[in-house]
Amino acid sequence: MTAAAPILAARGVSKSFFGNEVLRDVTIELLPGRVHALLGENGAGKSTLINLLSGALRPDGGRIEVDGRPVASFNPAGARAAGVAVVQQELSLTGSLSIAENIGIGDFPRRRGLIDYRALARSTRAALDLVGLDEPLDRPVAELSLGRRQMVEIAKALHRRPRVLILDEPTSSLSSTEAGTLAALVARLSSEGLAILYISHRLNEVLAICDYVTVLKDGVRTADQPMQGVSGPGLVRLMVGRDPGDLFPSWTSDREHRPALSVEGFSAGAMRDVSVEIRRGEVFGIGGLVGQGQEDLLLGLYGAIPAKVRRAVVGDRPALPRSVPEANRLGMAYVPADRKREGLHLLHSIATNLMLPAFARWPALRLRDRAGERRTTRDLAAHFSIRGDLSRAAQALSGGNQQKVALAKWMPHDPSILLLNDPTRGVDVDTKREIYGMLRGFASEGKAVVLLSSDAQELVHVADRVLVVREGRVAALIDREDLREETIVAAAMGAERERVAT
Amino acid sequence: MTRAALAKSDGSLYWRIQARRMLGVRGLLLLVVGFILAYAALFPGLLTPSGFSKFTQSWFPLALVAMAQALLMLTGGISLAIGAIVSLGAVIAATTMSGALGVAGGTLAVLLAGLGVGVVTGLIVVKLRLPAIVVTLAGSFIIGGAALVILPRPGGSVPIWFSDLLAGDLPTAFAVLVAIVLLWKAYLATPLGLSLYAAGENPVGAYRSGVAVDTAQIAAYALSGMLCAGAGLFVAAQTGSGDPVIGASFTLNSIAAAVLGGVGFLGGRGTMRGALLGSLLLSLMISVMFFLGFTPVAQYVAQGLIIIGAVAIPEIRKVQR
Repeated sequence: MTAAAPILAARGVSKSFFGNEVLRDVTIELLPGRVHALLGENGAGKSTLINLLSGALRPDGGRIEVDGRPVASFNPAGARAAGVAVVQQELSLTGSLSIAENIGIGDFPRRRGLIDYRALARSTRAALDLVGLDEPLDRPVAELSLGRRQMVEIAKALHRRPRVLILDEPTSSLSSTEAGTLAALVARLSSEGLAILYISHRLNEVLAICDYVTVLKDGVRTADQPMQGVSGPGLVRLMVGRDPGDLFPSWTSDREHRPALSVEGFSAGAMRDVSVEIRRGEVFGIGGLVGQGQEDLLLGLYGAIPAKVRRAVVGDRPALPRSVPEANRLGMAYVPADRKREGLHLLHSIATNLMLPAFARWPALRLRDRAGERRTTRDLAAHFSIRGDLSRAAQALSGGNQQKVALAKWMPHDPSILLLNDPTRGVDVDTKREIYGMLRGFASEGKAVVLLSSDAQELVHVADRVLVVREGRVAALIDREDLREETIVAAAMGAERERVAT
Repeated sequence: MTRAALAKSDGSLYWRIQARRMLGVRGLLLLVVGFILAYAALFPGLLTPSGFSKFTQSWFPLALVAMAQALLMLTGGISLAIGAIVSLGAVIAATTMSGALGVAGGTLAVLLAGLGVGVVTGLIVVKLRLPAIVVTLAGSFIIGGAALVILPRPGGSVPIWFSDLLAGDLPTAFAVLVAIVLLWKAYLATPLGLSLYAAGENPVGAYRSGVAVDTAQIAAYALSGMLCAGAGLFVAAQTGSGDPVIGASFTLNSIAAAVLGGVGFLGGRGTMRGALLGSLLLSLMISVMFFLGFTPVAQYVAQGLIIIGAVAIPEIRKVQR
């Protein structure tokens, strides 16, 4: 086993998107009979690396090797031919087709040009047995639970008898029984000589079933070693800890005792049973892995999606807003994460975008005051240092300046509660620094700033407190004195705190 | 389910999948049977061979265009050129069949024209990634124009014996329809045919699974074009001559029939048997309302209400669940 050569390898690969380098000089080798973990925070480059290994993307630099030989142009068909099967987070199933048809698609057994349903039934039943699924083969996939669909997706990958199996977050929607079946299956497949790459955010799972680990951080490989002797806290340390430089402002807390917003037993969308009190003058961080329900928390507070609550106080009103206009009247403002689709009207001018919340507040048929609007937009642009002609379309601005417009448009109404959904995602470093300064500035004016962020480092350096969400529930509420990237990541991934605190 | 029972059901996988698909249209099927009984009660002649032939002839072209539309809707597309291709098929049939090409040559010319139009449309939509609704709207003008060039005013002719064969007292049209349905079943049993569903519902996933997504979609446009042109040929045989605008009403009726049959607009949802039943229901509705003495205006209103109801009822039931 020690002399085994890698079946699939990436050597020194780099990849950039729009000048933004997401992978730099990364090497990874997938050996037969080895379960290889790939770890990294949100945006560390894991997905890009998987796409390179499965031929969905081509590297800008470096090369992909199959059985030790470099492959000139690797594409999905070539990857399949080389025996690489990928189970992506985004399922590839068709709801209206049966389980058997979904497993066989792209690789049907045929007889005289037609699909050989008898052979298909035999081979797909064998694949389902592997993943421990007892379902009638004719059942449409749309009728299955998400966990079962995930198992069908894995069966589909196995149906092609791969040599390399890449599993991207395979357990994210599995029950614990199903996850147990999967762990046993992974062990069995690797003993049969498959090379397995396993991506998961559940550290205990990774520690239990993987033999080897590669860690990515900001697109660079920071560890590549056997799993022996590695602990949960050790893995967390490998994944975090950049040099913050002078990106973040220095600040002292202006947190007041008066609450701006408090809820008890709040549930909305994927979030369940949140009780929290957000004070005036604080930046209240919300962290965790992407898509654990954090966005539903913001939207529920904002009245944009239905929320249930046992008790709520907003300002001095004893209820949550039931609609967005009501939230705005209560002094709440929301800046969405997807500024191109939700935050701005890209084809319209910067000035129009800046005025939109004001238009929404005015009586519907009031005549517009052009001079007043010009004054307002000029002042806003100056205050937020949005440079250039305000009559240009918003899409002409860089991502960072677009974000400033999305934020600035609320300011004429002097909101007392700002709900920000990942405001620095895809924003350049200089604008990030400006935005951090503004956020602390808002807090010092006595506003409550709720900052949802996928970047743990940013939360550590900007927030007074951080609420960590995992699987739709509050995993931890971390005060400033305990606020470190390790504590956030550990809570987000469900590692026990005592072990992290060593 | 026990292992033994599972193993037993695996053996008849194909037929079990078919049975599941039938389950999806059972409500519609009951409705159609109800309308047939009502129609037979109003017009007992339906149960004679010639009455049956005449009714299936009135249904036949709508059945073909409903299939043509459903085929495209399953891929996530749609066609506004259905009527124009029907007209094109009709004028080609009326100008060739009595001439040198004869009936066989004329039929071939009609089908090739439909196939060619479909392939070109499919290439434009799929390869250039343009919205199907815009491409087929533009196509309807071009194809409709071509039909007018071939036959500027109603005329031409189809040999009388051929008209009698297709639209006489024999159930030939029904037999042809059965043959087309069997051919469709065979197509759907090929990997390319089945990938139509995957390509329509989850194109990215289908591509990642190694499905020839583009080919499946272009093939759908080609088959759809052939079906429409074939419907045009039949209409020409029914009337004995060609009319360059005779297809106009088929475009919207084809969408109505597919929607009645439970075919969704977003691709991958619905079945061909649903679309066929939808077209049958539409034909029956028109006949029954005619016999009940509805005025044409009332017929249109009732038709519209039934279509909205057919789409709304499943949604309302989904919400209630």
